[in-house]
Amino acid sequence: MKWAFLFLTMTALGWSQSLGEKVFAQSCATGYCHGARGAPAGAPRLAGRGFDQAYITNTVMRGLPGTAMPAFGTTLSRSDLAAVVAYVASLNGITNPSVNLGPGPGAAGPVEKPLSPEAEQGRALFFDAVRGFGRCSTCHEVNGIGISVTTPIANIPADVSALRALSTPDVRTAKLDGEAMPALIVSQGKTRALFYDLTSAPPVLRTVEPSALKVAEGSAWHHASVVGAYNDTELASILAYLREAIKPQ
Amino acid sequence: MRFLLALLALAAACAQAQTPDGATHSDWPHYGGTQLSWRYSALGQINTANVKNLVPVWQFQTGDYAENLQATPIVVDGVMYLITPRIQVFALDAATGQVLWHYKYPTPRPGKPGGMTFLQNRGVAVSDGKVFFGTTDNYLVALDQKTGVEQWKVAVDDPRQCGCDITAAPLVVKDKVIVGGTGGDAAHRGYLTAFYTKNGRFAWRWYVIPGPGEKGHETWKGDSWKLGGGAPWMTGSFDPALNLVYWGTGNAGGDFNDEDRLVPGAKGKEANLYTASVVALDADTGKLRWYHQEVPDDLWDFDSAYECVLIDRPINGQMRKLLVHMNKSGVTFVLDRVTGEFIGAFSMPELQTWISGITEDGKLVGRREPEAGKVVNTCPSAAGAKSWNSMAYSPRTGYVYAPINEVCNDLTSTSTEASEGRFHANGGFSFKLPPDRKTYSHLDAWDPITRKRVWSMPYRYVLLASVLATAGDLVFTGNPEGDFFALDARTGNKLWSYQTGAGNRGSSVSYSIGGRQFIATPTGWQQSITGAQLAPLFPDQNWRGGSTLIVFALPEASK
Repeated sequence: MKWAFLFLTMTALGWSQSLGEKVFAQSCATGYCHGARGAPAGAPRLAGRGFDQAYITNTVMRGLPGTAMPAFGTTLSRSDLAAVVAYVASLNGITNPSVNLGPGPGAAGPVEKPLSPEAEQGRALFFDAVRGFGRCSTCHEVNGIGISVTTPIANIPADVSALRALSTPDVRTAKLDGEAMPALIVSQGKTRALFYDLTSAPPVLRTVEPSALKVAEGSAWHHASVVGAYNDTELASILAYLREAIKPQ
Repeated sequence: MRFLLALLALAAACAQAQTPDGATHSDWPHYGGTQLSWRYSALGQINTANVKNLVPVWQFQTGDYAENLQATPIVVDGVMYLITPRIQVFALDAATGQVLWHYKYPTPRPGKPGGMTFLQNRGVAVSDGKVFFGTTDNYLVALDQKTGVEQWKVAVDDPRQCGCDITAAPLVVKDKVIVGGTGGDAAHRGYLTAFYTKNGRFAWRWYVIPGPGEKGHETWKGDSWKLGGGAPWMTGSFDPALNLVYWGTGNAGGDFNDEDRLVPGAKGKEANLYTASVVALDADTGKLRWYHQEVPDDLWDFDSAYECVLIDRPINGQMRKLLVHMNKSGVTFVLDRVTGEFIGAFSMPELQTWISGITEDGKLVGRREPEAGKVVNTCPSAAGAKSWNSMAYSPRTGYVYAPINEVCNDLTSTSTEASEGRFHANGGFSFKLPPDRKTYSHLDAWDPITRKRVWSMPYRYVLLASVLATAGDLVFTGNPEGDFFALDARTGNKLWSYQTGAGNRGSSVSYSIGGRQFIATPTGWQQSITGAQLAPLFPDQNWRGGSTLIVFALPEASK
């Protein structure tokens, strides 16, 4: 979904303020940053500072370069952004804030449909921190979470056996300093070559002299070996998650 | 068990009679000076008699004013390696400050909203022809030491998930580089990870919190082990003779409420292993050899994540291999570093209201815990009697030197469910100055064996810079008003002071080039977290930020 423009006029503050307060508590009043309800803490006081609406919106969306204040414009959903801007405005005596987030990056925000129970289970497995580097997200990013070693997942295998049999023609064999290793080539420029060494997880992004690197087609590396830590039921849940989470291209 | 430990001690003592040298010489090769973390330089050209002549010889402004400059400069073969909060790495001619190369990390991925991402960096590690550092988006990166060109990088964790990042300097141990991370307050399971310096490949990971089937797992209630904190967010030490890596671990999470993590009936016992502990790991495998938990069931955010100072000193006529370690509470433990045996403990802060005392065998008694629905005032505060900035040890005096703050806090305690990567303190703190005092910090010299304070220099505000000790019998540190100064290591008398123009929150080092000794200190008051949170206690003060390294030496004629 593409949002060109979002214009919210908060006449009835009820819901938005309580949402804004919640977003503020979760994303701004986090102990080492601002205090609860805009009190001073690790970061400056926000209540009663006489900030105007535009300044608040701009700071929330884009952050303050050169300080620890991050840009939230691409990390919070549009509704959360609008609510938290309205909330900080209310802390500065603006009782009827007219929140104009404007067009911008990430305008769609992470709008997530609720997942089915099986897909939810698959999501937890995909990002399962208990598995350390043995989790899917060590190499795959889905909806902004995970490490994007590979290109985004576009074709979801039909079933578990297809997932286990997945061919990976992009994985080739790199020879460097007399050692052969499974490699995902990122770029081979005139001065530098970049590739992921897939010998062990997590993959290592190597930068080398192009002349030092020899690349051959094919590899003994198989996707099946890295999904081996998951059983069939778990892999089926993961596929269910991917089907729900990834929009057809 | 005791018999086994004694055997181990004997075997180690026979195999390795040699005492490792914790002093630095012409270089400053590691974060803590050497891997023994003394922050002590064997250079004595600058001494108690001539330090009054010390003058600045060059300065370097990093241009990265996002935060203050916290990095310990690393100096190897006349080249200084310095990193800034937004991950710019500079290689400088350490005699002149001339830039040899400059590296700028691309804009990092943003962290998880509501997680813990700290815009600061405490230093690089240099070894194997490479410069290693961690990033705010959890990469460990290796640059070519000569050119600054990236060699390899590896994702240690996903900042969008764990709510954590890397602020500590990595520790290089033989063919591996070991790094911890933050996130102990952000519903995350802390760990140390080792990678091979040569190619960045994974070597081992040690989780602070044991998984199912591992010893210590039973000290966690339900699933709380999955997100129970313990992040080892500072830099450890290494004893090459014992082949052991030592590290302090962070607090258990949620910080101020143990409802969701404490096993029923565990009150007053070891709990939530191995958080708030000192651990010894096999350097090759990362396997736990011993541990000593300093704050069982931590309820005060008293991380034990700080430096482990490895010293050898005689006790009752017998040379012992020791480890000196202070946690945030200011209680300082002396352990046998071969076995982990508790030898002694003492409290450097004068105000210690969170407990009534420590037993002869190192147990905390009279715990004053935060309570839901109440405000409980305790001292020291969650900012720490000492912050992450390091103490120093001089083998000439046998003393450790540490800056101690006398600040208290009002603690509140709540109970919320942990959500992966999100802030999960389960309560909060509000800093308060204790009544009836005129000074709120002091720089102390302590004998860790007799556990006696030898001297103390009171200061009216707080002290948050590391200490440097030298063979010139000098102790250097700085204050938030901008004074960088030298004291007599034996008496505490102030011998020299220089106004650096910005608050001191970094770690000074010493090195020499061509026979000339240099003292280098980063300057700039911290603009977030501890520095910014303590500043409002002194509203008439204006502690200035900045990001400048200032280097001092004796004038050429007088050295």
